[in-house]
Amino acid sequence: MPSASSNPSLRSVRLERTFGDGATRRVALSQVTFDLFPGRLALLMGPSGSGKSTLLAILSGLLNPDAGQVLAWEGGGYVDVWGMSQTQREAFRLRQVGFIFQGYNLFPAFTAAQQLEIVLKWGQNASSSDARRRSHAMLEGLGLGGQMNKKPSQLSGGEKQRVAIGRALVKGSKFIFADEPTSALDWENGKLVLELLRREAHEHGATIFVVSHDSRMLPYTDIAYHLEDGHLGELSRSPLADLS
Amino acid sequence: MTYALQTLIHERSRYAAGVGAVLFSAVLIALQVGLLLGLFELTSIPVDHSSADLWVGGNHVESVDLGRPIPASYIGRLNKPGVQMPELYYLNFANFTKPSGGYSLCTVVGTGLTADHAGCPDVLTAEHRQLLTESMTVCVDQSDLGKLGLERVGDRGKVNGREVRLVGVVSGIKSLAAPWLLCSQTTARELLVAVNPTYSDHVTYLLARCDDPAHAKGIAKELAAEYPEMSVYTADEFSTKSRMFWLLRTKAGVALGYAALLGLLVGAVITAQTLYAATMASAKEFATLLALGIPRRKIYGLVMTQSFWIGLIGVTLAYPVVHLLGYVAEQAGGRVVIRWEVLLGAAVLTMGTSLLAGLVALRSVKNIEPMSLLR
Ligand SMILES: Nc1ncnc2c1ncn2[C@@H]1O[C@H](COP(=O)(O)OP(=O)(O)OP(=O)(O)O)[C@@H](O)[C@H]1O
Ligand SMILES: [Mg+2]
Repeated sequence: MPSASSNPSLRSVRLERTFGDGATRRVALSQVTFDLFPGRLALLMGPSGSGKSTLLAILSGLLNPDAGQVLAWEGGGYVDVWGMSQTQREAFRLRQVGFIFQGYNLFPAFTAAQQLEIVLKWGQNASSSDARRRSHAMLEGLGLGGQMNKKPSQLSGGEKQRVAIGRALVKGSKFIFADEPTSALDWENGKLVLELLRREAHEHGATIFVVSHDSRMLPYTDIAYHLEDGHLGELSRSPLADLS
Repeated sequence: MTYALQTLIHERSRYAAGVGAVLFSAVLIALQVGLLLGLFELTSIPVDHSSADLWVGGNHVESVDLGRPIPASYIGRLNKPGVQMPELYYLNFANFTKPSGGYSLCTVVGTGLTADHAGCPDVLTAEHRQLLTESMTVCVDQSDLGKLGLERVGDRGKVNGREVRLVGVVSGIKSLAAPWLLCSQTTARELLVAVNPTYSDHVTYLLARCDDPAHAKGIAKELAAEYPEMSVYTADEFSTKSRMFWLLRTKAGVALGYAALLGLLVGAVITAQTLYAATMASAKEFATLLALGIPRRKIYGLVMTQSFWIGLIGVTLAYPVVHLLGYVAEQAGGRVVIRWEVLLGAAVLTMGTSLLAGLVALRSVKNIEPMSLLR
């Protein structure tokens, strides 16, 4: 594990978020304070409507909190994700953040390789050859070497989700957020997805935050949290995570 | 480029409506203009079927069929270096009495009758020209026989009350309203004098060829400046002027403009709708890219590129369709003038509307939010 693992890579400080007001007012997050560490896969569990997706959106810079801070470790210091401008935050997401969703959201017209290439070309102005080389290498690593030129309609659900993982990782993201990434997959494929994400954390020091309601995942995670009615609690900690 | 085109090809059934709409409006515009140009080509037939370089008429002649008598003595004014032997040309509306009784409007066209004469209509054969030298004889176009109540060579009718005999039937000089009656200068003078004595020593036009047709424009300018009471045009100018006059006078251009506008509007709405729906269908993929921090303008660019390709493919497909429909129309007896200027104009207009449709469809991209992916 990288040495930086002693410092948290993402700190949440007293996050608050409510939706609606008056009779429809609903507290989604209340006083959520916790740290995420690089090189670890963290799991967030909790009942439906407990605020899991809301928390993920706030941590990843998609949804603003009503109060509190999100501090991300970047370039030797912490940056305040919700203290920067919209444009700065988009640039931050481009540099650092990858997403995996329940749906694969792959362009039907593009090959597996192109789904990744478009991110490099549009996001980093990478040259065609550079984008192709990096995308191929990424897909190879995800066990999709034979699937490069297939379109989504020719891929299985598990393969599609692995392409989506490749798209989230290929630009070199250090923070990976996954909202129910395995709920559309069978357990074997779901396990594979988790193992790939865990490998990314352990081998490349990425900070991985997975939301799921599937407790079968627990053995595959480094640390697990539980969210209920907007309150966060620690659920378990793997022996590996205790090393830090 | 490749991403936009690749999407278009992969989801061709989705984009077909947009391409079809562009094709439709491009074809509509090109054919309408073509038909109108074909129609108004008929107004300049005397000019187009002669070989004169210079046309000299009275003051402010608006169209070749609206010439006013000018003194035949003006012919001396054309005695200039570079101008060949000028000649007299008669052209005037007249009243035609059908053999069976009943009236029709006609246009008397009296010209020199040797092949050397600049005014001699090129549709006349040597035989026709020979026959027309006989006084009070005329030739008319095949398509006008019915309008004049004539059936065959030898039939007789009256022009301004004077009897004429049909000695030949030609083709290629269809008329818009008043059939052209081709005859000799002598016959024309006699027919026109019957109602307008001025024509005893007046003509409608003076025609001449130039040694070098390229100089016609300069010579026409000089003559017009020298003699303000005459209009002097090159054949090309006069032809265009005649067509434009009737195009504008009849407001056909306005009708055309409206129809074209309607076609463009339909094309734009359908194209915009197609792009809008296509973008919405990919909203989740776009939202994912936005979540990853890809700038929104990249997606705008993709949609605009798609609208560009839809326009280009539509316009390209329109090209053979216009030619095919033009051919069909000609077979059915219509006249469609397909000019590259018109095709280019139609292409530019429809490409423009397609891009405009793309701009409208951008509104759908504006509303895509990555938050929508989190459940
Ligand atoms: N845009 C919104 N407007 C109003 N209420 C919202 C909005 N988004 C979330 N909520 C509410 O906030 C609470 C938390 O929602 P959230 O989506 O974070 O739950 P979740 O834990 O992800 O649930 P699930 O497991 O079903 O995905 C829910 O009660 C939800 O109804
Ligand atoms: Mg959720």
